[in-house]
Amino acid sequence: MSETSIDAAPAVAPSAAKPPFNVLIVGVGGQGVIMVSKVLAALAQWRGFEVKQSEVHGMAKRGGSVFSHVRFGKRVWSPTIAKGEADVLVALEWAEGLRWLPFLKPDTGIFICDTKRIVPPFACLNRTPGAPMRYSRETADEVASYVAEGYAIDATTMAEELGNERAANVVLLGALSNALDFPVADWETTVADFVPKKTVAVNLEAFRLGRTWVAEARAPAADVPLVHAPVAASYAPRLEINADWCKSCDICVKLCPERCLKLNAERVAELAAPEKCTGCRLCEWLCPDFAIRVHLDPQAGAEGTAR
Amino acid sequence: MFTDAANFDVRDYLRKEMMPHFLCPGCGHGIALRALLWALHDLAIDKDKLAVVSGIGCAGRLSAYIDANTFHTTHGRPLAYATGLALARPDLHVVVISGDGDCLAIGGNHLIHACRRNLKITCLMLNNEIYGMTGGQVSPTTSESRLTTTTPLGNNEPNFDACALATAAGAGFVGREVTRHVPKLKELIKAGLEHPGFAFVEVLSDCTEVFGRKNDLGSSPEMIMRQKSEIRPSAYRNTVETPFHSTSLPTGILTQNDRPEYGAAHRRAAAAVVAKGAK
Repeated sequence: MSETSIDAAPAVAPSAAKPPFNVLIVGVGGQGVIMVSKVLAALAQWRGFEVKQSEVHGMAKRGGSVFSHVRFGKRVWSPTIAKGEADVLVALEWAEGLRWLPFLKPDTGIFICDTKRIVPPFACLNRTPGAPMRYSRETADEVASYVAEGYAIDATTMAEELGNERAANVVLLGALSNALDFPVADWETTVADFVPKKTVAVNLEAFRLGRTWVAEARAPAADVPLVHAPVAASYAPRLEINADWCKSCDICVKLCPERCLKLNAERVAELAAPEKCTGCRLCEWLCPDFAIRVHLDPQAGAEGTAR
Repeated sequence: MFTDAANFDVRDYLRKEMMPHFLCPGCGHGIALRALLWALHDLAIDKDKLAVVSGIGCAGRLSAYIDANTFHTTHGRPLAYATGLALARPDLHVVVISGDGDCLAIGGNHLIHACRRNLKITCLMLNNEIYGMTGGQVSPTTSESRLTTTTPLGNNEPNFDACALATAAGAGFVGREVTRHVPKLKELIKAGLEHPGFAFVEVLSDCTEVFGRKNDLGSSPEMIMRQKSEIRPSAYRNTVETPFHSTSLPTGILTQNDRPEYGAAHRRAAAAVVAKGAK
């Protein structure tokens, strides 16, 4: 046996073949994670690749954590992507994106993320819109330092502007399409095949929007193109309580979700903890005596209070 | 949602000189009144084009607090007055506020015939399971085994399902909601106001001072929280398998059909008679 024949053997072995391309798509149940992965898998199959897709669904339901692994190449063996192996991570929700960051290839991985936040009830410490969170607090700039290439897209607002908030996943699919060299026409045909017939037009528009957004963001190659999550409009809730009409029934005190009301010495409702009030209006609605009126005064640049 | 609610100030629709109202602390009727006024606000119904007719009882008194054309009528007869009003003035939005005793016992006959005619009236029945104003006597909707002044050993009569009654009598729109869910109640009343025929809306309200105290149901916050644990969504509506039970009532829109409205037919017939007389 000569040394050359031994050297020749690995050339045909699977380990030497080009590894498959790994795309990890994550989000919250109901956003369309599976739909995005189906489009990608079908397109890759159509282009002649072997595709393996594995997903979690059903158990997560609406509002739960959902992920889908899509792997395609000449030959694909494992159906799942190992940590640090994903070429692209597409996240339809900000916190889910952060959760799956370790799966991205540290040196070349591309991170595409919607800045939308869906805070689970158990992580919701303060319901005031715009209040700082202890949950997924990393800013877009901080995340940029973890990844090789990152795009934080406000896809939900972009889709809303097109007229259908639910097309946000297709905006991100458009962003993803830049990372793969499939022809645009093929992408659009596949998207049109998978979305409901009535929404084909808006989804194609969403796809083009996402694709051009990333193409434009890529143009100045020097700095990492990231946008910040939009800051919710801040306001200060103020309660106007009519002491003459209050009959001390205690409904507002006991049913306030933040427990910020109490009956004072005269047995009249009063706002005891104004910093906790989120302006949800439950007290106004449930007051049988019309004694409470909630005003939401606009407050520029004010910050909510973290608890 | 915030901006939607922000534009509605209930005080714009109240006769402020009549306030505070006469209802007991924690009475659910005040919440129901807010939901009605909010629905009227959402539909941008002009106060001058609104006529509120009410009967006798705690619920009957609510019309006095609404800053619109109001009519406080005899016991059980608000639907009879409203029928005449709606036939004579089809340009008005006629809303009837009635209690469970007013609507089902004293005025039971008027209710079934109003449902049968399907005239464009929105009927709000505030169900607190008791005659509150007269001292807490048993009403047709009092649940079995409940204590009242006339049933000191517990009510042993079966009670009415008012929504099933209205549906059977032919009402075009029938719905039920609890006072706890104010925005949902508002949406239901709004749907009833928009319905072209007779709309019957049962509001499950709380009588805290008479019914709640006698039956040891706690104070008003506890009674409102009880609504959450005991009222089921409309998916569990009454079937043979799950018969009517006062603690598992279906809510939401229970019936909605497009039976012909009576007012138009009446006016056509009247016009034909007039034309015949002119010949």
